[in-house]
Amino acid sequence: MSESIFSPAWRAQPLGRRGFLRVSAASAATAALIGATGCSTQTPTPVATDPYALSLSTGDAGLVQYAYLLAMAQATLYQKVVDAPPSDLAAAERAIFADLRDHEVVHREVFKYQLDPTASTVIVPADLAFSLKSFTLTTRAGVLAAAQQLEDLATAAYPVLLTLLTTTSGTLLRDLLLKTSSVHARHAATVRDLLSPGSFANDDVVENTGALAGQIRTKTPTEVNTALAPFFAPYVISIANLAVPV
Amino acid sequence: MKLISLLDRLAATPGAPTTATPRRELLQQFGRVAVAALPLAFGSLPAAAGTKETSYDALTQLLLLERLQKALYTQALAASGLIPATQIAGFQRMLLHQTQHEAFLVLVLQNAGAAIQPVPTFDFSGRHGVSANPVLFPNVLSDYDAFLALAQQLEDLGVRLYKTHTFSVSDSQALKSLLRQHAVEAEHSAHVRGLRRGRGVVVKNWPSDADAPIARPAAAQALTTAATGGDENVFQYLTAGVKVPFSNFLLIRDNTAIHDTALAEAFDEPVSLAVAQAALSLFI
Repeated sequence: MSESIFSPAWRAQPLGRRGFLRVSAASAATAALIGATGCSTQTPTPVATDPYALSLSTGDAGLVQYAYLLAMAQATLYQKVVDAPPSDLAAAERAIFADLRDHEVVHREVFKYQLDPTASTVIVPADLAFSLKSFTLTTRAGVLAAAQQLEDLATAAYPVLLTLLTTTSGTLLRDLLLKTSSVHARHAATVRDLLSPGSFANDDVVENTGALAGQIRTKTPTEVNTALAPFFAPYVISIANLAVPV
Repeated sequence: MKLISLLDRLAATPGAPTTATPRRELLQQFGRVAVAALPLAFGSLPAAAGTKETSYDALTQLLLLERLQKALYTQALAASGLIPATQIAGFQRMLLHQTQHEAFLVLVLQNAGAAIQPVPTFDFSGRHGVSANPVLFPNVLSDYDAFLALAQQLEDLGVRLYKTHTFSVSDSQALKSLLRQHAVEAEHSAHVRGLRRGRGVVVKNWPSDADAPIARPAAAQALTTAATGGDENVFQYLTAGVKVPFSNFLLIRDNTAIHDTALAEAFDEPVSLAVAQAALSLFI
């Protein structure tokens, strides 16, 4: 595997350092085992880990990283739509996408600031990207469907994410994430209504039976991570360090 | 405090269930039940219960809001010709959600052994049921645009109120449910705002200082204040007393220029219990 496909800055980041995404312990152990059995004559190399295996941190930092990945995904999509809007996307709708882009950039950057206030750490591999290739971004319907997919996902993610946050360092982080959570729900309803008028808060995203009827359908970090996984390939992101929802 | 006296007054309203007890006693009862760790129990009351919001206050106010929204949509759907045929299904869905939210809040309060306030008689004209009083919200049940403007403000208030109150509940399942209802309120608000924009109003799907103001008489200003007042705020905090230096990292570090309007839109703000109550009281 070519070493040029991951950034030197990323490789230079030592394990355990405060940062965004670290090489996961499991994959590091696996790589070490392979190194021990297969290359016994070779001097142990400091980069003998799977460069594409990333792991979110434990605790609230991991949850902010999780929120960062969601915001990064959305900002990537919206930036693309703003840069190259489909010809059948009306001017008023382009303005909406510009707003969506702005909101998600703010979210992404405020989460990055929370993780790394002094911008002193390489917090993400330079080539970690959210792939847009599975979307059809040349038509209005395509960009709205892509936006709906990501906004529904974020809307479903936040009620679980917010219950997992601790308040050991105060409530300001929680409050900030709470303030962003309803913005995602607004985005979701907006693009839903644009794609199919009246499809806001429909039964596919809101429980319609039982004691929890009328509540948004949620997704656990595991479910969200699974949904995002194809977009972040070849990187494989582990959320094993996050608290498990009750 | 004004709010506490209001809750006392609600509890003492003629026609209230005979089980109505003075608020202090209710709160004590509430605290005991919480300690018993019922499935939907709340955290113990804060030490300064007299001056700090309690989960009882929080859920009671959320219940009042949901009932207000339910009443508005019920009356609007019953007002022949008010809502265009193509948009009736959306309001029926919102009415269903508010009804479901009300039922959930009632269940949570009941499970905690707390008293359920009686449903007030809502007056959407703002006259408090007295015909001699001035009309604060004219034609909200006969003019679609007036109705939509009121619906938008109540949905915006709902989003804010859930934000304010959700974390006063400590049980993780109840907490998650309130967060889930919070999201549904936000979808409602975005929908109503979109309907208004479709009718030519300058309004985004999220509160924005680019929105055309909703004209209200001074006596009805409490609603606007509660629904969107302060949402143009561009200051956020991750460390107490230290503003997040957005301009540093948005403009300089990453060369991503974001104007203040979008920055404020990116965060939905909460509302204080007292400000919200002033708005809700306009309709009682």
